[in-house]
Amino acid sequence: MKDYGLRKGLLVSMMLSAGALAACGAEEETTAATAGEDEVTVDVFQFKVEFKEQFETLAAQYEEENPGVNIEVTTVGGGEDYGAALRSRFASGDEPSIFNIGGPQDVADWKANLTDLTDTEAANAALDGTLEGVTVESEVLGLPYNQEGYGFIYNTRILEEAGVDPASITDLASLEAAVEKIDSQKEDLGLDAVFALPGKETWVTGLHLSNTFLAPEFDNNVLTAFDAPEVTFEYGEAFKKILDLQNEYSVQPTLSLDYSMQVEELFSMERVAIIQQGNWVYGSIAGIDQELADSGIGMIPIPVDGYDEGGLPVGVPMYWAVNSEENPEVVEASKAFLDWMYTSEAGKTAVLEDFKFIPAYEGYDTSKISDPMSKAIYDAAEAGETIGWVFMGYPTGWGQDQLGADIQKYLSGEANWEEVTESAKTAWSTDRSN
Amino acid sequence: MQKKWNIRTEVLGVLLGILWLTPFYLMFVNSFKTKKEIFTDTTSLPEGWNIANYTEAFRELDFLQTLANSLLITVASVTLIIICSSMAAYSLSRAKSKISTVLFLAFVAAMLIPFQSVMIPLVTVFGNFEMLNRPGLVFMYLGFGASLSIFLYHGALNNISRSLDEAATVDGANRFQVFWFIIFPMLKPITVTVAILNIIWIWNDYLLPSLVINSPGSETLPLKMFFFFGEYTTQWHLALAGLALAILPVIIFYFFAQSAIIKGVSDGAVK
Amino acid sequence: MRTRDLSYWLFLAPVLLALTLVVIIPMLLGVYYSFTSWNGIVTGGFVGLQNYIDLLKDERFLASLWFTTKFSVVSVILINFIGLSLALIVTSRIKSSKLLRTTFFMPNLIGGLILGFIWQFIFVKVFANIGQLMGIESLQGWLATTETGFWGLVILMSWQMAGYIMVIYIAYLEGLPQEVLEAAQLDCRNEYQRFRYVVFPLVAPAFTVSMFLTLSNTFKLYDQNLSLTAGGPYNSTEMVAMEIFKTAFTQNAFAYAQAKAVVFFVIVALVALVQVYINKRREVEM
Repeated sequence: MKDYGLRKGLLVSMMLSAGALAACGAEEETTAATAGEDEVTVDVFQFKVEFKEQFETLAAQYEEENPGVNIEVTTVGGGEDYGAALRSRFASGDEPSIFNIGGPQDVADWKANLTDLTDTEAANAALDGTLEGVTVESEVLGLPYNQEGYGFIYNTRILEEAGVDPASITDLASLEAAVEKIDSQKEDLGLDAVFALPGKETWVTGLHLSNTFLAPEFDNNVLTAFDAPEVTFEYGEAFKKILDLQNEYSVQPTLSLDYSMQVEELFSMERVAIIQQGNWVYGSIAGIDQELADSGIGMIPIPVDGYDEGGLPVGVPMYWAVNSEENPEVVEASKAFLDWMYTSEAGKTAVLEDFKFIPAYEGYDTSKISDPMSKAIYDAAEAGETIGWVFMGYPTGWGQDQLGADIQKYLSGEANWEEVTESAKTAWSTDRSN
Repeated sequence: MQKKWNIRTEVLGVLLGILWLTPFYLMFVNSFKTKKEIFTDTTSLPEGWNIANYTEAFRELDFLQTLANSLLITVASVTLIIICSSMAAYSLSRAKSKISTVLFLAFVAAMLIPFQSVMIPLVTVFGNFEMLNRPGLVFMYLGFGASLSIFLYHGALNNISRSLDEAATVDGANRFQVFWFIIFPMLKPITVTVAILNIIWIWNDYLLPSLVINSPGSETLPLKMFFFFGEYTTQWHLALAGLALAILPVIIFYFFAQSAIIKGVSDGAVK
Repeated sequence: MRTRDLSYWLFLAPVLLALTLVVIIPMLLGVYYSFTSWNGIVTGGFVGLQNYIDLLKDERFLASLWFTTKFSVVSVILINFIGLSLALIVTSRIKSSKLLRTTFFMPNLIGGLILGFIWQFIFVKVFANIGQLMGIESLQGWLATTETGFWGLVILMSWQMAGYIMVIYIAYLEGLPQEVLEAAQLDCRNEYQRFRYVVFPLVAPAFTVSMFLTLSNTFKLYDQNLSLTAGGPYNSTEMVAMEIFKTAFTQNAFAYAQAKAVVFFVIVALVALVQVYINKRREVEM
């Protein structure tokens, strides 16, 4: 995503400085005027393309139940950079009432526009730990969309035929043994390779994979990572081993593999046995092979050699924020809508069944979570067997542009592991010292 | 020159022509395949010529709206460029003086400035005036397109005798009338060239509109192309249909105006 | 019309205004910004030449500059060679001449962004597919390495621009007086000689135009770069225009990006001027 991303960013901060002065005066009055009468318009600016239609349906349902409230949903299209689009929305003076923020960096950047949501029902119902990244001085500034998690996704049938019990894969050694066992039979199993490592996607390597090995040194806490002046790669060796294992037993050349090839072309067509991905692949797999998506796959944690408290990395991909610059009526209406979405019965049903979210809130009938990966993630979260998403606290661009790009160099033999970690360390501390 | 039909060259030419069209052919045949088919086979014909990809791409692109946006911006910009630069070139060619020479050189020199060198301050300046919108974009195209257009008009105007102007002035026409009713019609060939060069450029431009146009619903075709190269995945079956849709208007335009286009480009480069 | 006439200035006013606001003021502001620490939000203090000193040590910027130079040189040679060859083919006595001109020129009407996507499909999907069918290893993983990315860009640009350059050469070839060509037909023993001693010197002016166009197009390339490789793998196929863009937007280093943009301008202007100068001189000598 970041390959093409951020190009709209130009407008962004530059205009916040220059354009904002002019923008505030004129445009806000018009917003207030249209919303001022007996109707309240809540302008939602959101990033999740996958659930655009379902979300709009839910908004329409809310409008029906609440005459006088008008919910306008704008979704930033796939491939566009949400952060940049949001900044230009603000810069142009056409400010949304509800928008999305990602983590501590966004909170810091948007602090002036964030409403305190501590008193909302949704904030009270949010599961432990899901509010960590958006809480500043005990003020809750965002509400989680949902939970997502990732790990090694495997094909149940293939593992079974190869004589590998996924439950037995608990550490690096057992994973290596399993991989070798599958690899030795790949002809019979009809596999191209054991893994498909998408070297092209820097978010898979630079954000997700690295997170697994960096989370321990930041106590699994995104804020610790966000405040950390440096990164040490305490489990750097373990990181290298998993990366090497995936690379060595992957369809080649790994640098040419992207998400679509990894998930749709290779895994969904049962040409590889294991991939490193998250529950969001459900839709992609179902698009190719519904049955495989529903009952043919499972997920296990990525083992970190030398660290026993591992688990599935589970986190909140994005938060809802309410624009505090809007007039009070709109702010109240926005809060009410978010509360309704996550805590009313109608809302909860939609969240679970239409959005197919793994809820980040209490009070859901979780037996309704249908797909196996989401189930595994929810169970792990409930049992406390998860590790945090600290990559939300990496310095801006560090995970993909720095570490991810260097991992590509490593995979192509242009750099050794030492060089990768050293330059990543330097880049981290340089950024933090500025 | 040899009168004999050159068969070896003919064969070579046709083979190269086929090679040149191969990318379009591949785009076209694969745009009818399902996602699965593309994974396994990209070289043969599709199993069925289903148009599902097209209907979906059409909807995702909001095709008619996007096409209208592209047309609007291109037509408005090119019209403005033609009117303003022909008038400017007229001034510069008719009043021979140091000022004219300096201004003309300034316009030519501006062609050397790459877009990337001005884009950052440009957006700041226009952001200040709240001009990061479609009218602002059209005005920017005038600024970037004027140099070459003035250069072309200037060359053509120098070949039109001044005695015409003078005769008309004697008859009582003012400057405006002289230019629009007498001179401008004589500039038709170069106007076609200017129009074609600017249409090709503006219709296809990506970077400038990506910086200027932000409100959903006002995107041009190139901006919308990223829809299929999404956050997580490239959906080739839809992308190819989308690309084919985006190319279609251009091919139609080309079909009707190919001679004018090739001549326009040729004149523009040679003069 | 005289320069003190009101109409003189009225006619010039719109373009003067546009050029000033769109090009001149941003250019001057840009030069000013490049001496500050402007980060997009705060104008920042005056830092003198610091940005320029930094960029001399910026490996990524220098790498992109080198990549761009290599790409431009190779492309300019190939595009001109192919363009001239195509021009010679379609101006010889063949029946499909008009159709072929139309065909070769076609890619130029379509935006670089779209062409880049089409070729991305060809390199990544079709090449891999053919490679699998024929068992040719080297067709796998195109655009995944620096070399294939480089040649991918070169192929794309040659395919696109050769037709444009062809049109320019045709204009000169068809401008050659018939008598000269007929005389050449009699005097020269073979095609090669005819080309070397008669056609070549006469189309030399076309080189000035063609080189100028190809060089400035390849050196400033952005759209095709973005849609074909997006700079990957590991930013190794990133060209200067894209590098500047990313410095500004992914790193929010606006002043620093602007310093790079100023350097970029100086290089582009110098190359263009030197090249026009050399070509003009050569034309005169010939």
